[in-house]
Amino acid sequence: MFCSVKSEVQRRFITRMWIVAPLCIVFSLAAGLGVKLGHLTGLPAYLLAVLPALPILGAIFYTGVYLDEEKDEFQRNLLVQSLLGGTGGTLAALQVWGNLEQLAGAPHLGLIWIYPMFWGFVLVSFPLVWLRYK
Amino acid sequence: MKNRLKVLRAERNWSQADLAERLEVSRQSVNAIETGKFDPSLPLAFKLARLFETTIEAIFEDEV
Repeated sequence: MFCSVKSEVQRRFITRMWIVAPLCIVFSLAAGLGVKLGHLTGLPAYLLAVLPALPILGAIFYTGVYLDEEKDEFQRNLLVQSLLGGTGGTLAALQVWGNLEQLAGAPHLGLIWIYPMFWGFVLVSFPLVWLRYK
Repeated sequence: MKNRLKVLRAERNWSQADLAERLEVSRQSVNAIETGKFDPSLPLAFKLARLFETTIEAIFEDEV
């Protein structure tokens, strides 16, 4: 994510994100498969549905930890602006897709795509924000 | 915000990386401040002033 990872704080943040991101994918796939194959019902199904949210909360928590630990205010500023870009991009995309679903019969977009969409927009925003200061 | 960082740095023959190391920030941060694209916080401005043994006003010029 960072153009040139220099500090120990940035390295720690990226390592943590590389741990929670695959966990989120694995848990989401497990939850999807569990429900689709129909083996899980009741409480286990609910628990499996909650499981993918844990690494998501972890990612948000570690992002907060990074913003707290990062002493370089410029780097903090880059990430905050990128997160804002991610939030704005996701909300705008969902609004457009929601309208398309209601007005133009577009296929339904599952809510599980919101989180990866958010980080996708963050990843797109980061180099754009960085370029502002080049 | 306009500033004299480049001049002050050149007087000491420091590169942006040298200044970044002294300030404990990234080189990109120094570049962004030096080019006036990013305004430092008050604590960082004081740190710069201490490092160059001058005042904040002598480094940064308010553009009113």
